[in-house]
Amino acid sequence: MLKRLIVNTAYSINTSKKYAKNKQFFYNLLENSDYKYKRIFDFFMIALIFASVIILVREVKSHVNDELLFFNNYVISIIFLIEYLLRLWVSSSVTKIIIEQSEYDAMLGKEFELLKPLKEILRVKFKYIISVKAIIDLLAIVPFFHQLRLLRIFVLFRVFKLFRYAKSIQTFTSVIAAKKFEFLTLAIFASIVIFVSSVLIYVMEANNPTSPIDTLFEAVYWSIVTISTVGYGDITPVTEAGRVVAMFVIVAGIAVFSFTTSLIVTAFTEKLDEIKDIKLIDDVAKMKEFYLICGYENVSKEVAKKLSINNKVIILEKNLAKVEQGKKDGFFVLNYDPGSIESYKKLRINIKTQVKAILCLSYSDVENVYTALTVRSFNKDVYILSILKNKMNKNKLISAGVNELFYEKELVGIIAKEFAGQPVAFEAIHALRSNYNGIDMQEVVITQRVLNNFAMAGELQNAKYKIVLLGIYKKSKKRFFFNPLDGTILEAGDYLLIIGNIQFIKEFRNFLHKKGTK
Amino acid sequence: MTQTSALIFGYNEYTSEIKKNISSHYKNIHVFKLDENITPIDKEDESYEVSIFDLSDNWNHLSDIVDIEECVAFCILEDMAENIFLTLSLRDTFKDLIIVALAADKESADKLTLAGASRVIPTTQTTANVIVDMLEKPIVTEVLHDILYEKSNLKIAQIKVGENDYFEGKYPSDIEWSRQHGIIVLSIVHEDMSTEFVYSSKAQHHVIKKGDIFVVVGYELEIKEFEKMIGSGCE
Repeated sequence: MLKRLIVNTAYSINTSKKYAKNKQFFYNLLENSDYKYKRIFDFFMIALIFASVIILVREVKSHVNDELLFFNNYVISIIFLIEYLLRLWVSSSVTKIIIEQSEYDAMLGKEFELLKPLKEILRVKFKYIISVKAIIDLLAIVPFFHQLRLLRIFVLFRVFKLFRYAKSIQTFTSVIAAKKFEFLTLAIFASIVIFVSSVLIYVMEANNPTSPIDTLFEAVYWSIVTISTVGYGDITPVTEAGRVVAMFVIVAGIAVFSFTTSLIVTAFTEKLDEIKDIKLIDDVAKMKEFYLICGYENVSKEVAKKLSINNKVIILEKNLAKVEQGKKDGFFVLNYDPGSIESYKKLRINIKTQVKAILCLSYSDVENVYTALTVRSFNKDVYILSILKNKMNKNKLISAGVNELFYEKELVGIIAKEFAGQPVAFEAIHALRSNYNGIDMQEVVITQRVLNNFAMAGELQNAKYKIVLLGIYKKSKKRFFFNPLDGTILEAGDYLLIIGNIQFIKEFRNFLHKKGTK
Repeated sequence: MTQTSALIFGYNEYTSEIKKNISSHYKNIHVFKLDENITPIDKEDESYEVSIFDLSDNWNHLSDIVDIEECVAFCILEDMAENIFLTLSLRDTFKDLIIVALAADKESADKLTLAGASRVIPTTQTTANVIVDMLEKPIVTEVLHDILYEKSNLKIAQIKVGENDYFEGKYPSDIEWSRQHGIIVLSIVHEDMSTEFVYSSKAQHHVIKKGDIFVVVGYELEIKEFEKMIGSGCE
């Protein structure tokens, strides 16, 4: 009966949308570094930690008023306690363990055993509780029991909590952790030297009345101060034998010191690329909108150069040499394979919200097909443009889900045609395309703000700004109206196609949007 | 357009695209390929005759096949060093030949210009420009595309001012092009072949005279009427 009730409750909790939503919210807030409110939460917790430490320091020699002490001992502690319990809750799913066991037993035709999932729940929760971070969290709550004066020192554990919220500290610890074995070897070596030299100096000096070393503690203290190369000089050996020991410790100290330094430097050098990559991934995740170029070739370089003027551009390239070249050229190039789903997962790119368009610009049609198929396998809507190198592969790229194909040879054919038929017109179009002499062709969207100033095409005063109004693209009719009549009604969403000097176009745009222009 | 023959040097995918697009403009199109080892491209294009050439050739024999003064040469070898060499040797032999050359990048484009090409098409830059325009100015690109590919009734044309004294002595700013003639003038090409945007200050102060060329956009009917009105049309 009880077992049935537990399993039913587990199912109902596990399928509850509200429960899942709440748990997800707290998980994001506590653990998901991509979650936008996590940063605010982290800052709040860091502020609490600093407030707590300031109160502790102030309390040493001055009187701290009762409200502040209450805030420190109760309010902060209770907040930390709630945080601790929430972390314990989101660390694993109790209902999932129960359901999995009940389904496993049902599959084997056995009766549901309650003890097994309970053991598993205790195991996973205990595993979390004994983790270093959880222990620090727990000790940070201890100052709540402020009556125990000794326990006040546990406020310092609140400082250790900073590890949770400051990413650079996490990076540092991860770098040090990577050299765990080397540091352990160093620690063992240093311990042996300290132990041997402490005993030796004690034996040599303790019976000498002029020697400041009388106890074993003083001998250990002297050894540590000497081996660390600090050497206060408050305790010094006076016997010859003692000084020989000192020389041995000093030489060992140099070895320990240089070994430690080189270890830290090597650890950082080895991890530097990884740290940079993590930073890059974070930067990518924070970007709002960008163009994603897949493959770094000459054409990618030119496209990226032009797009970067007004947009953010990210390039994915699997060939390391090309990545290095791209970086030298000043672009944001990442060494990831654009044809692998894993790359997008690792980079945490949200195609739907972050990517304006994907440009497959590799010189290999095979790679472009592969990239387009990869993207289409998890996103149906994003706009994909691809270059086509071999006409035979046109249908393959279309089948892979490419929205727009660009065949360079066809373009050259069209240019040749224009050149053959109308060389002067060709020059004019070429000049327009390449902003030659500062003349450009641009599109201006008609917004409600523009409409408040102008209702008809004849009111636009483009001639005053030395601008040619080539026509209006009517969004509602999806049609281009060349040389519109003065009475043509403007509508929101329409586009004006204008030609003129870039500077004049800028002024004309401002004029259109200026309030009360009319 | 006085040129009646086209010479295409290079036998690759560009060849078929260029040939397809220019065939209506030239009476004769001669295709040359560098050596016989190149595998043929589309079978449908094998219909035309392909001559063999060598970079060490003395080009004087070309004069026996075509009238060089009425020729346009397209140098489209994919190896840029060979293309530059070819352009240079053609220019060395024929001072007045119009040479259109393909360049893979800006560096090759500069070298081709130095080698004497009349017009260089930098493929990478042009491709990048069009791709960026497609993304950043989709409407502009679509309209230009329709005009260039003649998918709409809109056309771009160049019209030469003839003997007619209709515009004689007038300034471009005096004329209501779009209202009176239903066309839009983009630029004016002077006798010395320098192009000026119609609203540039230089063009505004230029008195229209015989021999000037207008680059206009408009519907076919309006363009024809305009041509008739101002004299001799080029297209």
